[in-house]
Amino acid sequence: MLRQITSILLLVLIPLIGQSQGCRLVIQGTIVDESTGIPLEYAAVYLQETRQGVAADSLGQFMFQGICPGFYHLQISHIGCENQNLYLRVDRDTSLFIHLHHHAELLNEIAVHGSREDNSTQMANSIARTEIARESNKNLADLLEKIAGVSVIRNGSGISKPVIHGLHGNRITMINNGLVQAGQQWGNDHAPEIDPFLTDHLTVVKGVSSLAYGGNGLGGVVLAESNPIEADPHLHGQLNYIFQSNGRGHTVNARLQQNRPWAAWMLSGTFKRQGDQRAPDYFLTNTGKKENNLGIQFEKKFGSRWASRLYYSLFDTEIGILRGSHIGNLSDLEEAITRPVPFYTRDAFSYGIGSPRQAVVHHLLKLENKWLINEKNILSIHYGGQINQRREFDVRRSGRSDLPALSLRQYSHFVEGIYHVTPRPGVLIKSGLQYQYAYNTNQPGTGVLPLIPDYQALTGSAFGIYQRSFEKGQWEMGVRYDLRHLAAATISRELPRRIVRFNNNFNNINVSFGGKYQLNEVLSLTTNLGYVLRSPEVNELYSFGLHQGVSGLEEGNPRLKQEKSFKWIVGLDGAVNHKFFIQALGYLQPIWDYIYLQPLNEFRLTIRGAFPVYQYMQTHALLYGSDLLVSYEWNKSVKWTSRASLVIGQDQSRGLPLVYMPAQSLQSDLTYSFGDRKRWSGTYLGAHGKFVFRQNRLEPGQDFLLPPYGYSLFSLEGGSSYAVGKSRLKFSLLVDNLFNTPYRDYLNRLRYYADETGFNASFRLNYSF
Amino acid sequence: MFKLLPAYLLISALIFSHCRLDDPQIPNEEELITTLRYTLTPVNGGNSAVFTFQDYDGEGGEDPLISGGVLTANTEYTGSLEILNEISFPLVDIGQEIQTEDTEHQFFLATSGGLLANVEYADTDSNGHPVGLITKLITRSVSSGNLTITLRHEPDKTAPGVSKGDLSQAGGETDLEIVFDVQIQ
Repeated sequence: MLRQITSILLLVLIPLIGQSQGCRLVIQGTIVDESTGIPLEYAAVYLQETRQGVAADSLGQFMFQGICPGFYHLQISHIGCENQNLYLRVDRDTSLFIHLHHHAELLNEIAVHGSREDNSTQMANSIARTEIARESNKNLADLLEKIAGVSVIRNGSGISKPVIHGLHGNRITMINNGLVQAGQQWGNDHAPEIDPFLTDHLTVVKGVSSLAYGGNGLGGVVLAESNPIEADPHLHGQLNYIFQSNGRGHTVNARLQQNRPWAAWMLSGTFKRQGDQRAPDYFLTNTGKKENNLGIQFEKKFGSRWASRLYYSLFDTEIGILRGSHIGNLSDLEEAITRPVPFYTRDAFSYGIGSPRQAVVHHLLKLENKWLINEKNILSIHYGGQINQRREFDVRRSGRSDLPALSLRQYSHFVEGIYHVTPRPGVLIKSGLQYQYAYNTNQPGTGVLPLIPDYQALTGSAFGIYQRSFEKGQWEMGVRYDLRHLAAATISRELPRRIVRFNNNFNNINVSFGGKYQLNEVLSLTTNLGYVLRSPEVNELYSFGLHQGVSGLEEGNPRLKQEKSFKWIVGLDGAVNHKFFIQALGYLQPIWDYIYLQPLNEFRLTIRGAFPVYQYMQTHALLYGSDLLVSYEWNKSVKWTSRASLVIGQDQSRGLPLVYMPAQSLQSDLTYSFGDRKRWSGTYLGAHGKFVFRQNRLEPGQDFLLPPYGYSLFSLEGGSSYAVGKSRLKFSLLVDNLFNTPYRDYLNRLRYYADETGFNASFRLNYSF
Repeated sequence: MFKLLPAYLLISALIFSHCRLDDPQIPNEEELITTLRYTLTPVNGGNSAVFTFQDYDGEGGEDPLISGGVLTANTEYTGSLEILNEISFPLVDIGQEIQTEDTEHQFFLATSGGLLANVEYADTDSNGHPVGLITKLITRSVSSGNLTITLRHEPDKTAPGVSKGDLSQAGGETDLEIVFDVQIQ
């Protein structure tokens, strides 16, 4: 089932033979749901230029007759789907095949975008533009929480990172427009620097060894991508405004695009301002946020065989961290735990951001070139450059709060060449070479010994993937090799301070095998088996410093070896009567030499009293679990979707549960879609419930505090779309934490200090033309 | 793939022929508290005692050197705190910085482990709240135990008991917490 289709919509233009003569042309097409392939009956199709509208029949087919040659805008809408706009050049009879996202929750293919044809047997789930756009005021990672098996690790309300099947941080690779997101991704309080407004498509790959990407994706891969610019030569754009009541946040985004003969271009800008958020019973003082983002994209075709794309994004943020979470030692932590309201809580709202705070600027530039050598061979050459500057400010004496306590700058360059061969139909061979260079330095002037040393990392990689599809399925195998050189220059802890250099070389091998098979009309089976090596990151090897939030001294371990892991996933997809859908998935992942922070039975005496010492150690870990998604379409209007996930992580050598494993969770959605009426379309109402159990798999003594109790959250949502001439005004209202429930989450690192955010109503307005 | 072997060799060559990482700049850790001296001078004359804490290399490295002292029973002492960063050049008088930001700082001196002595504040900040750079210590009968000196940054000086030296409601962050062994003879 090699589906070479785009996420949002696929268009196969089949030119029919025949001469175009006057206004006698025909536009016809078939509309199906992308996830299930089911024809979408009653889908409405509107031809803007002729002001004609038709509805699709029971086979999802429609037709316009008597069309003059020319250029046309076609609008397709269906109950419960986002409207789609197409731009067509019609000079002969035209037949279209249109995919809509009707069952967006079932999307489980790696999307094919522009130059990437990475459809594979990897287990993946996606979130489409519609859903991203509705909640683009949130952090990127928060959007991923809707996928079964994905949770979020937070540092207060402003900073979040994805957790896939229980693994996070260094084990998750973030791919931003085809580039491994560079910067300080090792930090659990370092959120990925990606603007959701620039993300048209968000995919989580749950299997290991996504061979084409590299990085260290032992736990999975998150792909954030922007769409290619549409073929329409007219200027199109949209304006978004989102207001959120909690934090009185304002988010404004403008995006313009046009496909001109000289090049296609896209420009997007985002501004976010948000003040202190509020837990049900008190303000979360100093949790404001500022964000300014920019995205620019150019696409140009040179002749019929060469296509180039230039993409630049800027992400600039300043995030306040809950003032009451900044503590000095263990007694402060113990005191903070017992306080009903965090210390330093002010009784008034403020947009001000004081220390502790983070200020991060990330630049990303990518140049893609694709050369169609001939029908069977494609060569792609990509360059990516990134600059990441991170500054973290602490509460300090004598005006030093304005000096960063941590100031890191990283430059990275990436070059790759990828060669696609399709020797015969159904066979795809993809091979590539990659080279990556990162230069990471602490900026002088902090007055503090750096937490991680200056380092440079060089990685050379080669990979090859073989995919074969047949009538009832597909299988693939692949191998990847990375040679990684890491040079670090640390500063000694002993006096006199001196520079101690370390050099490391790691050889990493990844192997992957997967298959997909349609068992019968109802069921299909997918499996993926991968073996991957992950070399230790710079923080695991050489970090040294106070671990804020948990009040311990964190020590790197230069003797660490690579982590080695197998991950086996089996997935079963079922579809009954076009009404009932099920996606079940189970996985098993042993990890040898799993790197974790071990509290040593040692307290180190400092001027602030005794601190427990944590060192990076290795053990044998085993993770297993399952994800389940069920969707039932009662009738055209009513749809129910439920997701559950379970993950268990065990330290096999020590016989202890792994820490920071997500608790069991269950989510349910009920959506009612209204039929289109005159200018109104896409009207819906939805209710959402989320139930998170208490994490009981933790021994006393593994944490300062027992994991928080389980909780239930409810939210309501509704929206509609109104046509004004050729443009469209969309609005929606989303109410999170409807009952203003106070709760704490085990995966929030600030759970010792404060409750999570309370009631939040957000209103979104979108104007597109 | 094998056609690309030369390119792969080129990449390997690039990896092993990279430029050397520059030496990092060793920061001037001017905020580090390396030294604390608590000097106790008898009000009516006699031998003074000096309790010292020294940790020149900060949080890592060698353990700090902490030495308490011997006091005379039934004696009133004036205690003064001296807090320095001795590895920074020029030397930083952190006590002076605390004096400048006295409304944001407060020391807490508490006895424990059977030490029979009372400590009172003998200075105030610009709002009339105690700071603790100057204290009065009165010993009672012969005993031994501990004296803990704690410095809180940005505490709530108006919380109940805080001006009497009770830190249970004080909040703030602990900048130093040192336990001295003390004998009263």
